[in-house]
Amino acid sequence: MNGPFKPAKPILAAAAPAPASTVVAKSNEPLPFGKTKQAREAEKALNHIVDDFDDNPKAMAYFYDLFRRVYCRGESIERDGALIGTTCIQAPEELVYALGATPVRLCNGSYHYDQIGAEFMPAKSCSLVKATLGMLTSEDPVPRIGKMNLVVNPTTCDQKKKASALMQEMGHEVFDLELPNVKESEASRVYWRRSVREFAEALRKVTGKRLTRKNLKAALARTQRAEKAFRVMDGFRKASPSVFLGKDAFLVVNAYFFDDLDRWCEAVEMLNVELQQRHDTAVRAAQKKAPRIVFTGSPPIFPNLKLPLLIERAGGVVVSDETCSANRMLYDMTAVDEWLVNDMVDSLADKYLKPCTCPIFTKNDDRRRRLLELVSKFQADGVVYQAFAGCQVYEMEQRSVARTLNDAGIPMLYVETDYSPDDEGQLSTRVEAFLESIKTRKRMRQ
Amino acid sequence: MTYFGGLDIGSTAIKVVVIDSAGKLVGEHVTATGSLFYKNAKEAFETLLARLGLRRDEVGYLIATGYGRKLYKEADDSISEITANGIGAHEVGKAFGGVGTIINIGGQDSKAIRIDSMGGVTNFVMNDKCAAGTGRFLDVAARNLEIGLDELGDYHFRAVAGPLDINSTCTVFAESEIIGLLANGHGKGEIISGIHASIAKRTVRLAKKVGLEDRIYFDGGPALNKGLVAAIQEELGREMVVPEHPQTTTAFGAAVLARSEYLADAEDRLAGRKAEAQAKAVLAEVAANANCGTGCTAGGCATHGA
Amino acid sequence: MSGSLEFPGAPTARPLSRKIRDAANGVDFNRFRFWLQVGFFILLVYGGFAGIDLGGRLPTFSCVYNGEGRPGMCYLAPLQHQLAMPWQRLFGEAGIAVLTGFGVFFLWFIVLNKGWCGFVCPLGTIQDWITAVRRRLGMRFARYSDATFERLSWIKYLLLALMLLIPLGIGAGYVSHDMSAPYCMICPARLIVPSFAGDFRQWVVDFSSPSKLALTSLGALTTGTFLIGSTVKKRFWCFFCPMSAFHYLLSKPAAFRLVKDGGKCTRCGDCYGVCDLQIKEIADDVKNPQIMMDDCIVCLKCVAACPEDGALKATFAGLTVFESTEAGFIKRMEKGATT
Repeated sequence: MNGPFKPAKPILAAAAPAPASTVVAKSNEPLPFGKTKQAREAEKALNHIVDDFDDNPKAMAYFYDLFRRVYCRGESIERDGALIGTTCIQAPEELVYALGATPVRLCNGSYHYDQIGAEFMPAKSCSLVKATLGMLTSEDPVPRIGKMNLVVNPTTCDQKKKASALMQEMGHEVFDLELPNVKESEASRVYWRRSVREFAEALRKVTGKRLTRKNLKAALARTQRAEKAFRVMDGFRKASPSVFLGKDAFLVVNAYFFDDLDRWCEAVEMLNVELQQRHDTAVRAAQKKAPRIVFTGSPPIFPNLKLPLLIERAGGVVVSDETCSANRMLYDMTAVDEWLVNDMVDSLADKYLKPCTCPIFTKNDDRRRRLLELVSKFQADGVVYQAFAGCQVYEMEQRSVARTLNDAGIPMLYVETDYSPDDEGQLSTRVEAFLESIKTRKRMRQ
Repeated sequence: MTYFGGLDIGSTAIKVVVIDSAGKLVGEHVTATGSLFYKNAKEAFETLLARLGLRRDEVGYLIATGYGRKLYKEADDSISEITANGIGAHEVGKAFGGVGTIINIGGQDSKAIRIDSMGGVTNFVMNDKCAAGTGRFLDVAARNLEIGLDELGDYHFRAVAGPLDINSTCTVFAESEIIGLLANGHGKGEIISGIHASIAKRTVRLAKKVGLEDRIYFDGGPALNKGLVAAIQEELGREMVVPEHPQTTTAFGAAVLARSEYLADAEDRLAGRKAEAQAKAVLAEVAANANCGTGCTAGGCATHGA
Repeated sequence: MSGSLEFPGAPTARPLSRKIRDAANGVDFNRFRFWLQVGFFILLVYGGFAGIDLGGRLPTFSCVYNGEGRPGMCYLAPLQHQLAMPWQRLFGEAGIAVLTGFGVFFLWFIVLNKGWCGFVCPLGTIQDWITAVRRRLGMRFARYSDATFERLSWIKYLLLALMLLIPLGIGAGYVSHDMSAPYCMICPARLIVPSFAGDFRQWVVDFSSPSKLALTSLGALTTGTFLIGSTVKKRFWCFFCPMSAFHYLLSKPAAFRLVKDGGKCTRCGDCYGVCDLQIKEIADDVKNPQIMMDDCIVCLKCVAACPEDGALKATFAGLTVFESTEAGFIKRMEKGATT
């Protein structure tokens, strides 16, 4: 029941102990980064992404190369100007760009940092928070983004909230961006708009610049370009069979976390041209019968693209997702009525808050409706719901989402996992059983 | 005569099943997985074939399932044990009026599977993170009580007093608890029925997550233990369907699937061949009518004669 | 549905009907509306000079007091006069005329529904021009808080009721004739619209009787409020306008509709952000497909500002005339951010 790609490399072989390094380091010198366990983790993930599949789009080479340079070789990606680290997509990056600074998303997907974070975080914590904190507490962490001027931490889930104090202890300058936990009320809209203005004020202190109509418009134009490029790319996954695989889509948006904005846009635009050609010449990335999956839940962040990769290696195709490391980062677009600073800032604030389907809010109506709409728009056969062990909000929403999908006749697989690589066997059993049941169902219907 | 095989490579035991082209069970074989499971699986299959007097090429299609399915490359295909178990239970369950939920307790895991009226899996839950409530727990218990696995059932029914509470949630710690109870002079029967009750509670809690409305089918190695069956039935408040060979249901399901895949494939090929024959006929006709209207060529014209 | 990709830069091999639809949905909406409003303004403020007569039952402020310029009359003036007839006549021989008058008004109305407000009404257009000036000056606009919105939203119904009851009172003999056409007296259009045709005779306070004094002073006050209000709030008057209330009460059978597909709505609030009237339901209500609320002027800015294909639609007799599209949205916002 394998897909069109080469037979999967035996997973269990990878679990065998790695051969001892043949490089004998001098006692005081650290190993070059490329030989560390951390680099090997990234390399393994990247190899699966590239080698386990035939006929990757040529334009994806830019992204494969980017991750190889940054994560496997530890290349430095410092940029000019102030560097603002963000721990959530809710931090309005347009304001950062407008003031000539660079935002970089700190959410981390590395098991290496997860283990470091576990040294001081409670046992039952979310892997993502542990990994992010583990990275922030390390000297010279990878990706090598350089020294940050400010870390903006929106008050979202409990663990991220409490991480604020921990980050300050580590010596980072932290700004708490106050995000309401209810998004339907007028009070929350007013509260959030004010929070965004305070954020702009904090940025002014860091960068020494003010928001003007000109620089904010320019920033909006740049992010609009990214959002448009993303939407076009995403649109190719609507085709049946899909022209583009989920593992590549995830990688592309993960690159947005740290890549140069304009260069990223260019690379995606080139990718879109190639995808258009592929579409027109009926080149397909997946088999016709491959089960089409919408992926939702805790965000897969490189190198932890474990679950989406598993789905695609088992013959499924992830046609869409509802996660903050992919779709939700770039999908929503800002509409501005009057292109004056105040209206632009308010419109931006609304765009970040109102359509957000993160489970940190009290109600999840919008998330459930979004999932139904995605399943319909992308003609999906099922939904895979990933929750990181310790992420209470995603774990608690599982029931209402399952009920909504069930009522609509859409099968859902709920998977609880974390960053550790040792549950691949258990996950593959579940994923394969799920894909098999979808194929059976489709066959029965014909 | 073509036969079909199902090979379930579990963590504790390897099960092989062969069925004939009518779908009837021809033979089965169970052996320990051991550490070299590829070698042991190969041997198990060969042993069964030898016993049945069959050659390898008489088995038209072989499907591997279970924990070690991916490494057994000689199989024609592999599927998850959940799907296989679903198909197997559905087939065997027909004789009992059809089943809707399957409870499987394996060597190292336990699962509950919900199937629809066609045997397709609609929902499932697995406990594969913890050995408590699995065959391993029974292994440990039997060893500590110095009895055989197959004696657990007898001891269960010999208990005079009610089942003792086993409080430990972990198999390893439960070991100490059992030893302590023995030392305090409690009877083996009471301890064993306590262990069975503990497993039953855990299992039913798991199974409730998929729904227990329809008839329940119980399989997996530990289903041979009549005492455990009784304990689970008591926890559920009703009877379950327990087949004669509960250990091989999953392998049987794999074999059934092997047969239907082979037949579907054959039908496709047959349809393909039919289409091929038709296409050949049409092309021949076209060739025969060629040259007409372009003037008779040296090759002669079929319509107007040479 | 399957396999048909809609995205910017899609292949050009599309049928003509498709091309027309895409062009319509991708239109530079603000410019289109601006010029349409200019056209209607010229018609309704100066059309009379060209001898155009559309009758006296128009569902928009083609102000009566703009005697020479108007190409027909705003229905509210003749309505108030008709209702002020002695009741014997009103409910007797003149009854048919009143009803047919209403019938003609209704027929005019149901063609465009409250689109008369958003595209045609000269008073509305003037407010939009004042807003444009404010924007040019870089001033920010004001918003009502939710509580204030709730507290003020019934005023238009009150004005509508008074507009109908006071003339009836005159007809019954309880109210003085000096109170005739009470709404016209306080409507800002009375002072402002004729001014555009060079007629400033309404800019006076009439001392001839206490009622007239009260009404014309009130009229001066409302006009002043109108001018100041429109400067800081988009479409300030429309929130209080009795014509708007009147329209809404009759809007069920209208041909031109604003329709929402709640399933496609991501609740992003882009529509609410651009709505001049601060209508929450356009963003928040995902159940009701008939989404035109009582304050809505059907200006369709929300449709133009929605990035989800097919979430908001303007339909005429069931046919989609203008719908929200991802491609159209991107085009419009790109223009906004780069010019």
